[in-house]
Amino acid sequence: MSGRPSVWSGLAVVVISVGLTVALMIAAMLVGPAIQAVIVRMAVVSLIIFLTVLFLRYFALLWFAYLGHAERNVLGVRELKRLPPVSILVPAYNEGVVMERALTSLMQIDYPEYEVLVIDDGSKDDTLRIASEWEGVRGRGTFRVITKSNGGKASSLNAGIAHSKHPLIFCMDADSYVEPRTLLQAARHFGDPSVGAVAGNVKVENRNTLITKLQALEYIEGLNMPRRAQGFVAAVNIVPGPVGMFRREALEEVGGYDTDTFAEDADLTLKMMAAGWRIEYEDTAVAWSEAPERWRDLVQQRYRWTRGILQAIRKRRGIFLRPFPDFPLWVSTLQLAFEALIWPVMNVLAHLFFAIVAILFGSGELIVYWMILLTLLDLVAALVTVSMEEEDLSLVPMAFLYRFVFILFLDVVKSFATLEELFRLEMGWGKLQRVAGT
Amino acid sequence: MSIVDLLVTIVVVTILVTIVLAVVTYVAYKLRLSREPAQAEEAGGLQYFVEFRPPRIDAEPLTEGSHGHATQT
Repeated sequence: MSGRPSVWSGLAVVVISVGLTVALMIAAMLVGPAIQAVIVRMAVVSLIIFLTVLFLRYFALLWFAYLGHAERNVLGVRELKRLPPVSILVPAYNEGVVMERALTSLMQIDYPEYEVLVIDDGSKDDTLRIASEWEGVRGRGTFRVITKSNGGKASSLNAGIAHSKHPLIFCMDADSYVEPRTLLQAARHFGDPSVGAVAGNVKVENRNTLITKLQALEYIEGLNMPRRAQGFVAAVNIVPGPVGMFRREALEEVGGYDTDTFAEDADLTLKMMAAGWRIEYEDTAVAWSEAPERWRDLVQQRYRWTRGILQAIRKRRGIFLRPFPDFPLWVSTLQLAFEALIWPVMNVLAHLFFAIVAILFGSGELIVYWMILLTLLDLVAALVTVSMEEEDLSLVPMAFLYRFVFILFLDVVKSFATLEELFRLEMGWGKLQRVAGT
Repeated sequence: MSIVDLLVTIVVVTILVTIVLAVVTYVAYKLRLSREPAQAEEAGGLQYFVEFRPPRIDAEPLTEGSHGHATQT
């Protein structure tokens, strides 16, 4: 997987895609009125299909998210009688700027017994030095550091699993920090012996710019809300890297993390689900993470996520032909593929198509009514999801920019990433520049 | 221009500008990747810079109320 990414091939994908689109636009302008009428009719049919899928998706996710929320509040979770010790793994590569905050939060955890294992993945900055200063007993936890040659996050986590000793394993990122009760809230789900992992709630910490506020809303509405819905059927399809707790037995059964994708979290979760483990969601197991503050860094992050998820799905494409016996697994994998592969392309093409039809054929009223409807839907969804998470209501007005600017922007990036993955172009990890917000 | 026409214009311009910005940012990201230095050669290859790692000082055993920071004399 490593090596210089095929940049010029990636640019060729962009140029060809844009060129084809422009060519189609010009062709649409040159055709006769009869064909133009057909194109307008196609636009109306496409709009109906697109809106139907959109509404069904939204309402299904909101409904199941509500069911999950209500079930938790009424029935609670099957809790452990005694809390077992936890090994916390913190893989780190060049995280010297932000890691101190993560380690400080781990020292303040409210949990009876735990160890912290920092895995330095051959960092070139002062990550190892900073981590080494933390070794020893800190609060209720014991801190240890291991270092290895650079091999990627998955190999670091596997090294951490091998060197850890407790029955529950909590994986987090070095650029995130947890709340004191995060471990407690996640661990209590393991009273059910069929639970293999618990996905936590990732929130954006640096909400000081428009782009990070939009990401904050996206995490609540676009990531956590679907996880809440999936948690209702215990089939969460991604246990996020910044906050996930695993049963050691489940990790060892599936052989730990594979190192052949760029989304090791999605890959591992699908592997565990396929092995029959239940994957639950706990919205009070919170980790705060630093979101990209520059648009290019955001592109880099989402490019990697998209291609990594598609790599993980491709490894298990046989699941699509086997809805039974594990129907929740089938639905969850289908939903992951839909969100990663189909929906972004559908969304971009729909917006582009409608804009072109509005410009060329003057069917703008249709689009305005559609936009108003969608904006209202986005506002309602934002209000519901922000309220369910007891989050900052000032994020709700971000919904005005959410779909037509932010999500459209990301879906263009995801579409190009999808094309590159389909053509199996080489890619690298890249490294986001950390800013360590105050 | 009626209010609907104005809204149509705003919506269409927003869509197109967003898509163009996304494409431009994606291209910029790709070009940034092309400027990143290649991975260092494996052992045996030419190296012009050698990484300096300060010698690790063993930390003092932690005592109650101390932070146990190692100091370098």
